[in-house]
Amino acid sequence: MSSYPRWKYILVVLVLIISIIYSLPNLYSSYPALEVNKNNKIDIYQVINIIDPNIKVENVIQENNKFIFKFSSSKKQLDAYNKISFSNIETNYTLTNYINLPDWLKSINAYPMFLGLDLKGGVHFLLQVDKDNIKTNLLREIEDDVKDILIEKKLRYNSFYKTEEKVVVNFDIDKPVDEIVKTINEAVPDVVISKMISDKDISFEIIPSEDLISRDIASSLAKNLTILRSRVDELGVAQPILQKQGKDRIIVQLPGLQDSTRAKGILGSTATLEFRLTKGTPEDWYASKVSGTPVINSSVLYKQRDESPILLSRKVIVGGADIKGANSGFDSSTNTPAVFVNLSDYGASRMLETTSKNTGSRMAVIFVEKNKKEVINVAVIREAFSKSFQITGLDINEATDLAILLRSGALSAPMEIIEERTVGPSLGESNILAGKNSIYFGLFLVGLFMLIYYRLFGFIANIALIANIVIITAVLSIFQATLTLSGIAGIVLTVGMAVDANVLIFERIREEIMNGNSPNASIYAGYQKAFSTISDANITTLIAAIALLTIGTGAVKGFAITLVIGILSSMFTSIVGTRALVSLIYERKNNKGLSI
Amino acid sequence: MFKLISSSLNYNFLGQKKIAIVISAFLIIVSLASFMTKGLNWGIDFSSGYIVQLKFEKEVNISEIRSAFEENGITDSVMQSFGSNNEIIIKLKEESNFNKDSVNIFLVDALSETHPFEILKLEFVGAQIGDELREKGEWAMLVALLSILVYIGFRFELLFGVGAIIALIHDVIITLGFFSLFQIEFDLSVLSAILAVIGYSLNDTIVVYDRIRENINIVKTDSYEYILNISINQTLTRTLITSLTTMFVLISLYVLGGSAVEYFALAMMIGILVGTYSSIFVASTSLYFLGANAEHRKDL
Repeated sequence: MSSYPRWKYILVVLVLIISIIYSLPNLYSSYPALEVNKNNKIDIYQVINIIDPNIKVENVIQENNKFIFKFSSSKKQLDAYNKISFSNIETNYTLTNYINLPDWLKSINAYPMFLGLDLKGGVHFLLQVDKDNIKTNLLREIEDDVKDILIEKKLRYNSFYKTEEKVVVNFDIDKPVDEIVKTINEAVPDVVISKMISDKDISFEIIPSEDLISRDIASSLAKNLTILRSRVDELGVAQPILQKQGKDRIIVQLPGLQDSTRAKGILGSTATLEFRLTKGTPEDWYASKVSGTPVINSSVLYKQRDESPILLSRKVIVGGADIKGANSGFDSSTNTPAVFVNLSDYGASRMLETTSKNTGSRMAVIFVEKNKKEVINVAVIREAFSKSFQITGLDINEATDLAILLRSGALSAPMEIIEERTVGPSLGESNILAGKNSIYFGLFLVGLFMLIYYRLFGFIANIALIANIVIITAVLSIFQATLTLSGIAGIVLTVGMAVDANVLIFERIREEIMNGNSPNASIYAGYQKAFSTISDANITTLIAAIALLTIGTGAVKGFAITLVIGILSSMFTSIVGTRALVSLIYERKNNKGLSI
Repeated sequence: MFKLISSSLNYNFLGQKKIAIVISAFLIIVSLASFMTKGLNWGIDFSSGYIVQLKFEKEVNISEIRSAFEENGITDSVMQSFGSNNEIIIKLKEESNFNKDSVNIFLVDALSETHPFEILKLEFVGAQIGDELREKGEWAMLVALLSILVYIGFRFELLFGVGAIIALIHDVIITLGFFSLFQIEFDLSVLSAILAVIGYSLNDTIVVYDRIRENINIVKTDSYEYILNISINQTLTRTLITSLTTMFVLISLYVLGGSAVEYFALAMMIGILVGTYSSIFVASTSLYFLGANAEHRKDL
């Protein structure tokens, strides 16, 4: 019997069996698909009707509580997805890649590797909280609070104004400076106050402290994350990624999408609605401007969608904060696209009060996005209404997206897209193919060389190499680490370097044989002496790989992860694995020579 | 036994140290000169702007696309055809005069009627991201080098660590120099390749150093040069075979891996060529000059 410890054989066999099982799901091919949740309001023909007979559905499967529509290409899948997104279907749907895994694999949590966007296609955004906006809002709060407290404490100032950077208050020189500073500090604790003293007056410049700004950014980020999550959920893509990055950023990844325009519009949008009464006519407004008499100074001039002007009351009846829910659909009588709005209790009572007092007047619906306000609809109030009502004047795409935005609520601070990457599904597919081909061909070349150069030992090294790939695949599948194209490059590199350990061992064995040692002693000494070199070499490479991980961005990280897994698994296969095989072959018989 | 190199080979590598110094010095000077005059051709990962890869339904002429862009007010685009005649890559500056949120809309407006297309890839990197990535990349390189120095210093002796770092910096400068000289785009994938080269080249150096350490204790000689030489010779087959097998997969990656890993593979190939050379000639030569000589050997 072999002198190699039995537990190592068992370990090798065990690792291999587990790895083979967990890498199996990667062999099943996937199809572009659309999952539609079943409920009693929909049936399969309705969905097919929406999808359009022109977009051929390959196959429909019923599974659990879903219909799964399979398509022959991702282009058809996306067309169908767009159709269903802007329909008024009352169910949830998911853009996905369908894999028909057997139940036993699912039951042990064996799933294929999680592919990065560069391999499966999709859009990636990096959004950053707009710091200037946060500062502006803080300054506005500071301005209000300071003004209130100074008036309350009867500290009379000469002037009080706000610039983009600071709030400035000016006092006569005889005012109690210390008391003023104390008063301001008590009212607004997290500000930096600087004094500018001249002969006759003293100015205080007040700015929000860095600490206050960063706390505000952190809380806005947390709120925005929740809001974005609900928006992303509405987009209906499988396995979206949404995570905080650093202090003021959020990463959003939407697999499977190809056109980022809609996603960008929805993610970055601060859109909401306002309701106001009309007051006077534009003609009145122009007339009052010309004459200089403030006839209707409580009105503001807005533009409607057709660019015509309209005059509205300054008073907002109900704003975005009072909208509690929204759905898109069609007006039952005119069959035009509509958004059905639900108000909060407070909003509902304000609406009821206004509409019952102003029956017969006209009310405008204003679409507010960042600094742009646009009147989308003006209608006569026919009767009083409160909590629920519908608004029209938008097309179906706008109505759908507005309903999503109203449901999720407004972003707590605007976010700017600072990085965007889109990979079309067809490029993703060709990247996977290119990656696979280069791994196979690289493996083939290395394997052929090893076989010619080291004969039977080369063959053993090749088996270890294949086992190495299987283990890497299994580890990536088990941990669902994201595999990107650069990750594949990492695997390819590992293939090249994995044989290094075996080359080191085999060269040592050759040396030992040339020094006249017996085959078994040479094997023993070869493995023994090469070990410290191999571990030194691999640990240093590991250090470099971990340094790569610290860079922490997509492509580099993907590469580093597979490199780390590859180094560890190759140490196992090329030292423990090959040793087991070599012992099995040579230590049983009284061998005369080695095929090396 | 099939052999690349005769086992009785005992080539006097260290004897060639003057030639090695001249070659290395030449390559480093050329690289540094190129940095100073040409600099690196930063890809959008490290600068900022847009890259759009479009696939058209029919073959297109770049000048048609360019004029369609110009009609829509974009004059500062860089275009090149890519692979087949119906794919082009377009680079746009961040400050190009369309609204940042609507590059897709701009493309549809400018092209979809006359030249129907599909977006294969679209990337936008804002200026601050580019700067950050560059800074992080520099940090990663520094951290990698330092931690390696510490590890080797701990496992061998500080001078060995310094010798290894000299060889590494040598490899990195020359690989970067190649990218600068030929103005090949330097993107994130190339940065990963450079870091991989650091790991790889080190691997080679460690194997040689390991053998030097072993030989110091078993070879009875006063000549440090002799020990260095036989250590290089004994590990030469392994150095070459490993470089060769790694080269095999890199060639495979370069030829079959597609455009996204092309520069990665190229950077690695250059790095491995230089790394193989440096682990034979530079690492031991620097050790020789650093004076980790026979007097020290009891400490090793």
